[in-house]
Amino acid sequence: MKNPNASLKARPTILLVESSIIEQENFAHIAMQEGWQLVICNSGIDAVHWFIKNNKADVLVIEEDSAPLNAYQTADYIKTELGLMLPVLITVGNISNQQELRAIAYAKGFIKKPFVKTDTIHQINEIRERFPQKITIANHSYSLNYLRDIFDGHEESVFESLELFSTSVNTELDQLNMELQNRDYNRIREIAHSIKPSFEMLENETGRSICHLLNSEAEETEMPNLIRDLQLEFASITKQLTRDFPELKIGG
Amino acid sequence: MKKILVIEDNPMVIKSLEFKLTKDGHEVLIAKDGREAMKFLKEANFDLILTDLMLPFVTGIELISYIKKNSPNTPIIVLSTSTQENIIMDAFNMGVDDFITKPFSPNELSLRVKRFLNKA
Repeated sequence: MKNPNASLKARPTILLVESSIIEQENFAHIAMQEGWQLVICNSGIDAVHWFIKNNKADVLVIEEDSAPLNAYQTADYIKTELGLMLPVLITVGNISNQQELRAIAYAKGFIKKPFVKTDTIHQINEIRERFPQKITIANHSYSLNYLRDIFDGHEESVFESLELFSTSVNTELDQLNMELQNRDYNRIREIAHSIKPSFEMLENETGRSICHLLNSEAEETEMPNLIRDLQLEFASITKQLTRDFPELKIGG
Repeated sequence: MKKILVIEDNPMVIKSLEFKLTKDGHEVLIAKDGREAMKFLKEANFDLILTDLMLPFVTGIELISYIKKNSPNTPIIVLSTSTQENIIMDAFNMGVDDFITKPFSPNELSLRVKRFLNKA
């Protein structure tokens, strides 16, 4: 009889962010031969979303100059903003000493491109030995702890706040899209600043982090993707709230 | 009963501040933007002002400047976020008394508000 845990252990889930089709195919070929479960993502943010949605992964392999967040920013975001210990391997062409130091500061190592079978397998296996457990995250898109604390356990006020979250953030997200069309990036930063506490009050780290990026260091070119991700996160929270509290006016 | 003006545009933050400050026994007036705040400031005196810095129409910095000119003894607490270090420094240089980071701890808010109202 096969041990299901052994089978799980034998099939690591690898998230790959790689823009070159040829390198994607190279990696996919190695993954297929080794029996790895490969998920190809368009960006680091996409990989993070896949990870949050599917709640499992063993390692993120990401190209150094990915966009909108590069590999270092993505690794830093995963570690410091989301507080996750998902191991990150950065893929590079030529490796300088400076790059090597930088990669080590942010990630668990690097893989040289073009992908070579022996080196790639070695790096992935080494990571799996160092981090044998599949990384999972708690599947809670929100928490009522803060609201219950501030409203002193007054449930009616907590529920009114949830309805306020749904209506007010929905309106501001519409406004964000409008300002994106108008290319009014300063206004986008202001709106993100304004709605950030709403996500914080529901203890939603993804929404808080995206608002933080939009409000501070995000480049204008990164804003469309970040706004889309914020909308997805908002939809995920309101969907969960509707399930948990069908009597409330959420998402209407 | 002490009179507090809250100038803030996030409805969830407004609701929580209103709940907490009213429960602590204060009279609370809410201005959702800088323009509304200016109207209140021209019509009444307050024992304490809690204000955000990034506000529609009239900025928090402009409001602080107005308050310091027309009601210099009214204490001001800035409601800030963690990304506003430079703006907070500007506000302190203009004479604001304290700042609270959003979302605030309920007990911390009560204590800080009480401290300034006792001085008034």
